[in-house]
Amino acid sequence: MTLKLIRLIRENKGGFIGALLLFFLMIMTIYALFFVSTQSRLQWNDPMYWSDNPKTAAPEWFNIILKPFGNQLPEHKIFYQKDATVNSINDTDFKLENNTFSYQFDFNEFPPAFDIPYEITLGEIPPILEVYVKRPDDLEFRIYSNSLESLSSFQNNGDNAVDNNNNNSTTPTLINSNTVLGRVFSSSYDVRNSLAEYGGVFKFPISGLSAEKIIYSKTDSNTPLKGKYEFIFSVYSFDSDTVLKNLQLVIQGKVYGLLGTDELRRDVFFGILIGTPVALFIGITVALSSSFIGLFYGLYSGYTGKKAGTFMLTVIDIFISLPTFIIFIIISIHFGRNLMFLIGLFILFGWPGVALLNRTFSIQIKNYPYIEASKLMGESDFKIVLRHIVPQLLPFTLANFALSVPIAILGESALSFLGFGDPSFPTWGQMLQEAHASSAETLGYWWWIVSPGLMISVTSIAFILIGRSLENLVKIGKRR
Amino acid sequence: MKVFLFFLLKKIIILFVVLLITLFLTIFLLGSTMDKIMMDQVRLQAINSFSGAALENPMLQQLKTNEERQKLIDQQIKIQSQSLGLDEPWYSPKKIFNSIYKIITLNLGNSRFFSTYYGSNSVNDLILEKLPNTILLFTTSSIAIVLIGLFFGTYLASREGSIPEKFISGLAATSRGVPDWWFSMIMIVIFSFFLHVFPSRATPLSSPNEPGYILDLLYHMTLPFITLVIIGFSPFVYYVKYIVLRILDEDFIKTLKIMGIPKRNILYIHALKNAGPQLSTIVSLGITASLTGSVLVEQIFDWPGMGNLFYNAITQNDSPLIIGLSYISVLIYLLTRLILDICFTFFDPRIKSGET
Repeated sequence: MTLKLIRLIRENKGGFIGALLLFFLMIMTIYALFFVSTQSRLQWNDPMYWSDNPKTAAPEWFNIILKPFGNQLPEHKIFYQKDATVNSINDTDFKLENNTFSYQFDFNEFPPAFDIPYEITLGEIPPILEVYVKRPDDLEFRIYSNSLESLSSFQNNGDNAVDNNNNNSTTPTLINSNTVLGRVFSSSYDVRNSLAEYGGVFKFPISGLSAEKIIYSKTDSNTPLKGKYEFIFSVYSFDSDTVLKNLQLVIQGKVYGLLGTDELRRDVFFGILIGTPVALFIGITVALSSSFIGLFYGLYSGYTGKKAGTFMLTVIDIFISLPTFIIFIIISIHFGRNLMFLIGLFILFGWPGVALLNRTFSIQIKNYPYIEASKLMGESDFKIVLRHIVPQLLPFTLANFALSVPIAILGESALSFLGFGDPSFPTWGQMLQEAHASSAETLGYWWWIVSPGLMISVTSIAFILIGRSLENLVKIGKRR
Repeated sequence: MKVFLFFLLKKIIILFVVLLITLFLTIFLLGSTMDKIMMDQVRLQAINSFSGAALENPMLQQLKTNEERQKLIDQQIKIQSQSLGLDEPWYSPKKIFNSIYKIITLNLGNSRFFSTYYGSNSVNDLILEKLPNTILLFTTSSIAIVLIGLFFGTYLASREGSIPEKFISGLAATSRGVPDWWFSMIMIVIFSFFLHVFPSRATPLSSPNEPGYILDLLYHMTLPFITLVIIGFSPFVYYVKYIVLRILDEDFIKTLKIMGIPKRNILYIHALKNAGPQLSTIVSLGITASLTGSVLVEQIFDWPGMGNLFYNAITQNDSPLIIGLSYISVLIYLLTRLILDICFTFFDPRIKSGET
């Protein structure tokens, strides 16, 4: 038994590789279906959910490749409030609370940016917030200062605050009755404005530079200064109700996770993972339906022959002559952006090819003597077809099935790339479309392009290899 | 001969039906937006001509109240739209017949957003400007693929089971599974981002009437050309090998071997010659497909061809251009198919004798 299996594998290496690839895809599908909740799948298109991730970061293992070249990219780091050293100064009428994060920076490149999200429970008198950076060369920059508005004014313009959150301002927003949520980020207007005051310290003009290129820079030239940086978040509170919560310091790295992140800070690996079941579903549904329809259509038109058969052949001819891709585009412009609709479209144009093959085969089989014999014995046509013809066609149908899966998957990704994908089901084609829209290929975000395309290719190749070796098996079986 | 004519007639009818189906579909799906665009144009024209006339004719200026003016403009719009047939919905038979007639006679109208280098925005001019570029890139790469395929395919047929032969078979399966447009993106990352050998955008920087334009165009064409050849050659090599192998099995080849004719001559002269009819099918199909280019590959390389224009027309929802481009692509596709069919029927003895 095992010997036979080994021989089978050796004779069909391609099929074996295809089966292995398929097994790998199945594992990803099962993981995505059972261990990723629907909730987090829906989060894919929600930019807020991904806000703590770095923007367009390379995969983490990229640093290993860079090591021989003497280059390392800054890693993504998140400091939580418990990581900070706190020292408080109590005065008669106010309390100063300093939260100090120390960050060891020793890379040859500037890190892209940093974020400081925080929550504050407001008391009667609003507090004053200040952020300082203490550098290795003992310079200290005040990069942010804001005296918060009182709770009542937050409550009054709650609606406007939501709008503020989207643009470049760091104004906090009210999240429940007495807590505000704020975020100091390096690209904001406030930070750049406060840094502009330190122009005299540097021996080069700083006006056009981004905040992180000033903060981490040497004073005599615009190159990174290595060493220990301290980020100090100070709160001047004037009553005992003011409490700082969930303070974080997010140093945006240039490497993150297994497969990096995209322009909207989303984890590419997560996208790959949740795209797997969708791709397999599209491929298998389309292949299954079109080979099923093709089998019976071809059978009927081949077996009956005569006028109906000829007419059915003409219909196949027309379908095959249609320029499929152009018609897909025109139809999608009008109806597109729905997964089920796309699947229906692929089935509509997928079956004729299969039907033509099955028709040719069933005409061949029809003329075999044993079919005539069973006809003479008075068996009904239905029985002959079901008993003698369908079993002979099934192996071919199986091979056809495997070979139509990649057509559907490639078609879906191409249409998604044109922007006709279903936004509620993120697919690999859509990821590539987003990558192309942010011109990832010219900016060199290779991790964003390589992985989705590789997954499309792997899925298609798996089915092509399986289909080919099935075809060979059928042919050999026939010869014997 | 009668059978042959009948067969030909049937093919022509099928292809004509296909053309009509595509046209109906386009008009059915894009007709309403087309009408809206035309109506907007008419409205704009009426208002413009009215204000123009008002400047010259003092009588018209006496129409002080807005309502009177509006009434006059409305009347003008009504007359205009009636003469253009816009008062009828797009689905009225007369209208559909009219649109199809217009499209078939290549009266494709004007694009909404795009214009040629010389400033014309007629769809015909746009297509005429872009079509040569598409043919330049895709047809030359198809020809390169065919040449590589004929040479290596025949060579590999004589060495079945060798490592290069197995490698090509594997590569052919892989190339079919890899989307060519994704491969183009990868090529851009490698050759223009990391190695800085070729520009990432394939549209030449100089304008068409400068002397160095052709050289510039060819330089920008190099990367797309290499990409298309790499992704396309292995399936074709595999196919040529498959056909030549079947011919090598036949008796007349064995006879030639016994006669002592050199192996190379058998392979490249006798086997290839006999594979001719089958090979010409696949060659011509490949070259046909190359005429309309590829929407995705052209868009990724930003090659100034038909495909890229099609992509831009889709994203801008430029319906006249979409309809024009689809019609031309379909027409090219169907015409070449028809020519191919005629050639096959001449070659294939079964069809002439009437067994199908």
